[in-house]
Amino acid sequence: MTTDRRTDEAGGFDESLLDALFAEARDEVPAPLPQAFEARLVAAARAAQPGAAAPRPGWLARVRAMLADVGGAPSLAGMGVAGLAGVWIGFAAPGSTSDLVTTFWQGAASVSPSVSDWAAPASDEALALGDLLTLIGDDTQ
Amino acid sequence: MPARALGHGLGARETKPPATYRNVMPRDTIVRMTAPESESLSDDALLGRYAAGDASAARVLVDRLAPRVLRLATRLLQDRAEAEDVTQEALLRLWQIAPRWEAGGAQPSTWLHRVAVNLATDRLRRRRGVDFDSIDEPDDPAPAAVETMIEDDRRRALDQALASLPERQRVAVVLRHLEGMTNPEIGAAMGIGVEAVESLTARGKRRLAQLLQGRRDELGYDR
Repeated sequence: MTTDRRTDEAGGFDESLLDALFAEARDEVPAPLPQAFEARLVAAARAAQPGAAAPRPGWLARVRAMLADVGGAPSLAGMGVAGLAGVWIGFAAPGSTSDLVTTFWQGAASVSPSVSDWAAPASDEALALGDLLTLIGDDTQ
Repeated sequence: MPARALGHGLGARETKPPATYRNVMPRDTIVRMTAPESESLSDDALLGRYAAGDASAARVLVDRLAPRVLRLATRLLQDRAEAEDVTQEALLRLWQIAPRWEAGGAQPSTWLHRVAVNLATDRLRRRRGVDFDSIDEPDDPAPAAVETMIEDDRRRALDQALASLPERQRVAVVLRHLEGMTNPEIGAAMGIGVEAVESLTARGKRRLAQLLQGRRDELGYDR
């Protein structure tokens, strides 16, 4: 290859020789991508693809999502305790409410569940209030 | 600032009301291609297929476009990891614009290279910590010898010589002579004027010639 015109007297590169190198570099086929990098680019492309269907979540993820709707794992514990209590009450079939209350609060045995017993003092108070109003009325006249 | 102009140009292009592929290929029409079929399609058509949901189009486009972008970014940044980041980011922008891409307009490869140039020059600016154009480079120092040059491999020799250039000279020479960009385009990308681009290119070429001096026989340029 005759390149005398492209080289200078000092044995260096002149502009035309550089231009030839540039042209070769422009036309050169680039090296293929490393496999791992290519895989990364393709994965990114597919993730960004319009209309790409999101992967269906697994059953565990769906259970977690359902739990999250009702307050997460702590709420599950509360619901469990309430459920067990219901089952226990069903099997134990406690006879009356007073027995059940007594089980937890011994002082409840001395409290009468009768409404009439609770109402009596109230009627006394109502009478006393009537007397008081009568007295006030007398004073104002 | 001129440096942003090119980027804004691209941005404006992204927001143009397009005659998109959506008009000719409904979103729910997902076409599956065989490999030979996809490889015969143009970049434009493949991008349309990608936008329509064809996963195989992505791989063909990656194999077709990414190697050149990676080579360009590596030449500009001289850092393989950063060059891979730039390649991935540029491609991501192409995927994002795919549904709005104007068929028959700019070539995806050209658009992608412009984006990669902008991303790379942005990184070079950050690397310098100040504006890309605010630091004067030293006048051409004495050329360093191009070491470990591989015989009969001119492109490798050129890449080695390019790597030895001062950063701005390298960018200007790569964009002008390897990417074929015009001086105004390079000025916009680098944030400098056209005269500065011409000066950088001329100095870069002069230094390249010095770096390659005495190697013409080694590179197969016989007297």
